[in-house]
Amino acid sequence: MGTHFCSSCGKVLQVPEHSDYFAMFELPRKLWIEMSALEQKFLQLSWKLHPDNFVNSTGAERDISLKRSSELNDAYRTLRDPVARVEYLLAIEGARKEGQNKQQAPSELLEEVFELNESLDELREARASGSDTVGLRSRLQAAERNFERKLTEVDGELQGAAREWDKLIDEKADETPRNAAKGKLNELLNRRSYIRNLVVNVQKELL
Amino acid sequence: MGRIVGIDLGTTNSLVAYIDAQTGQPKCIPGPSGSTLCPSIVSLDPDGSIIVGEPARRRLLTQPERTIYSVKRLMGRGPSDVQSELKLFPFRIDPSSNHVIRVRLGEKVFTPPEISSFILRELKNWAEAFFGEIVDRAVITVPAYFNDAQRQATKDAGKLAGLEVLRLVNEPTAAALAYGLHEKQRGKVAVYDLGGGTFDISVLKLISTSEGDIYQVLSTNGDTHLGGDDIDNLLQAFVHEQILQTDAIDFSPHGELAQELRKELIALKHKLSETESATLRFPLPNGKIFVHEFTRGAFEALIRPVVDRTTAPVKQALADAQLKPTEMDEAVLVGGATRTPLIRRTVQEYFDRKPHTELNPDEVVALGAAVQANILDRGVQNMLLLDVTPLSLGIETYGGAVAKIIPRNSTIPASAQELYTTGVDNQTGIDIHVLQGERELAKDCRSLARFTLRVPPAPAGLPRVEVKFLIDANGILQVGAKDIRSGEQHMIEVQPSYGLNDNDIERMLEESIEYAEQDFAERQVIEARTEADSILKATEKALAHPNSANLSAPERAKIEVSVAGLKEAVQGSDYKLMRRQIDELNRATEHLAELLMNSAVQSALEGKKLAEV
Repeated sequence: MGTHFCSSCGKVLQVPEHSDYFAMFELPRKLWIEMSALEQKFLQLSWKLHPDNFVNSTGAERDISLKRSSELNDAYRTLRDPVARVEYLLAIEGARKEGQNKQQAPSELLEEVFELNESLDELREARASGSDTVGLRSRLQAAERNFERKLTEVDGELQGAAREWDKLIDEKADETPRNAAKGKLNELLNRRSYIRNLVVNVQKELL
Repeated sequence: MGRIVGIDLGTTNSLVAYIDAQTGQPKCIPGPSGSTLCPSIVSLDPDGSIIVGEPARRRLLTQPERTIYSVKRLMGRGPSDVQSELKLFPFRIDPSSNHVIRVRLGEKVFTPPEISSFILRELKNWAEAFFGEIVDRAVITVPAYFNDAQRQATKDAGKLAGLEVLRLVNEPTAAALAYGLHEKQRGKVAVYDLGGGTFDISVLKLISTSEGDIYQVLSTNGDTHLGGDDIDNLLQAFVHEQILQTDAIDFSPHGELAQELRKELIALKHKLSETESATLRFPLPNGKIFVHEFTRGAFEALIRPVVDRTTAPVKQALADAQLKPTEMDEAVLVGGATRTPLIRRTVQEYFDRKPHTELNPDEVVALGAAVQANILDRGVQNMLLLDVTPLSLGIETYGGAVAKIIPRNSTIPASAQELYTTGVDNQTGIDIHVLQGERELAKDCRSLARFTLRVPPAPAGLPRVEVKFLIDANGILQVGAKDIRSGEQHMIEVQPSYGLNDNDIERMLEESIEYAEQDFAERQVIEARTEADSILKATEKALAHPNSANLSAPERAKIEVSVAGLKEAVQGSDYKLMRRQIDELNRATEHLAELLMNSAVQSALEGKKLAEV
């Protein structure tokens, strides 16, 4: 992200440079964003910042346009995506901690993940030895549906936690409940990415 | 400053277009023969001169070993990439090829960007003859699915042809621009572009705002080695097989006979777009005449595999845009190969609507390039193009895996930052491998560049280097690094995995003297002077902006000294001095540029219209 200080004069810029993606769009650090308003602002800023505007400008202007318009696009890409938005918020709040071990299953899923891995092994073995895979495939498809359902559940929980966060911001709640909310969001993100990886892996085997 | 044009550098044909000042509409410029199509064929005459276009096509038959077509297939690729092409195309790859392919024409070898530059130079000559003025800047189109190396190779070709490439524009996007200007279309548009050698599908959203029209690309997909050429190859393979069976004659794909047959088959293919059947009559070396009647049905069965290969990219592009075929408002056909009735039917059935074919499918991309050239020349007025990067950008991590840092279909310019440190004490280099592609393993993706970050010796984990990967508006990668501890910033010299480095280009520019009308140094002086003029004008304009009042007196004085220095340098003929003065002025105006940009951002956020910056 850009600096808060002008590169040549060292003074704080008169118009403060945007320090994060939310500020860039003049939004509070809340997780519910009105999409059509976000798009409107994105298009308005694109008119002003896009490098097409600066082909006949000074080299310094061209450089800044490239930097600013890429940041604008990065910001829009991030804020548009509900999951990336949570990840980004936690990152700028200094609260994003990925799971200690990405391979480690959340405890409540241990049993199902164990079964799933067994079925995957059996499928690979059956395929290698050329034996019938129909039964195994349908078992895996059922497991895949099961984990897809869990993904939807996590997404629902994530939405709930996001609403909770927004409420705390509105209430100007103090640090303790806010930290708890961030911890909750972080844990849900880790669970989500674990389940998503599972689904992707099963889908790959079933192709 | 000279004129600006839009160029479609195609696999089979290339075209050049401009905006007619009277009508405001784009138009293609005809060559000496009166045709606007310049066949993308280059031949080296035994006397050393370069022959391009229709005259070169005739030499395909008489001097095939000195003549090359479809060179676009080789752009930005390494020798090992093109092995499969060699069975189908008569490319004579020279053994001296390393990271860049070198093609032999007669007694000389050329890189693909050099050969493409001959085509661009020919089009530049057409345009200069047409205007009676110098043409020195261009917008050049590339397939949307071109990767970084293929784009860079195209930009290099422009430079070698004496053109400043203001922008590379994706072909389907250019076509959408031309159609938008023509039809005033709105809503969601799918552009299906099957050219001579490349296939692209792009999904766009056309938005009207109070400031003007925005062409926002939502997603793109494609295959940079799929096109009308492949239809010709299927036909040719079929006929070769027939002749082998009936007359036991084996064709070498490189020979004159094969070129003769290919020419006949292309004519037959065109005929079959108009009629229900066509007959091939081809004289064989044994005195007999090979006769075969093709019905359209048999022809379509034969070329079906080519059409089927476009299905997966189309589905992926729609899925990435999160749209269903029926949600599209319009479909547009681009590229000569879309004249084939089978392709028209296939697209119509898929999108359940009649695709647009009103604009000449051969010309529409060049027309769009001219529209974009005009936008850039005058600064955005009432049209803005927001394009995307077709492939995900990634970096190699442990175990040969790829971490994606900029996903495909991100609006460009786009960037990503990564923080690096060292793993062992006193490590002085950190190796970084940048890739492009969707696969999970580095070996399955396209290698763009490898480089080493240099760090001063320190305990492990202490150095902190932030690397910024930026894809510019041309879809080309730039890399910069910042030492977090010292704050020192520097651009990284990235050695491309496939492609020319600056030294190669410098040498080629010097070598190209024999094909150029001007001396190398003289050209450098003219280029530097042109750039100086435009920067002086831009600085004057910036200083006239109300926000420039916020400059401090020393800053303003520094700019004035730099302006005076550059003005003086322009009087002389030392182009290196001019370049130094240009750099100095650019540095002096950094703060001014920030002030203007902030004023622009503020006005956009307040939603008010203000005078152009």
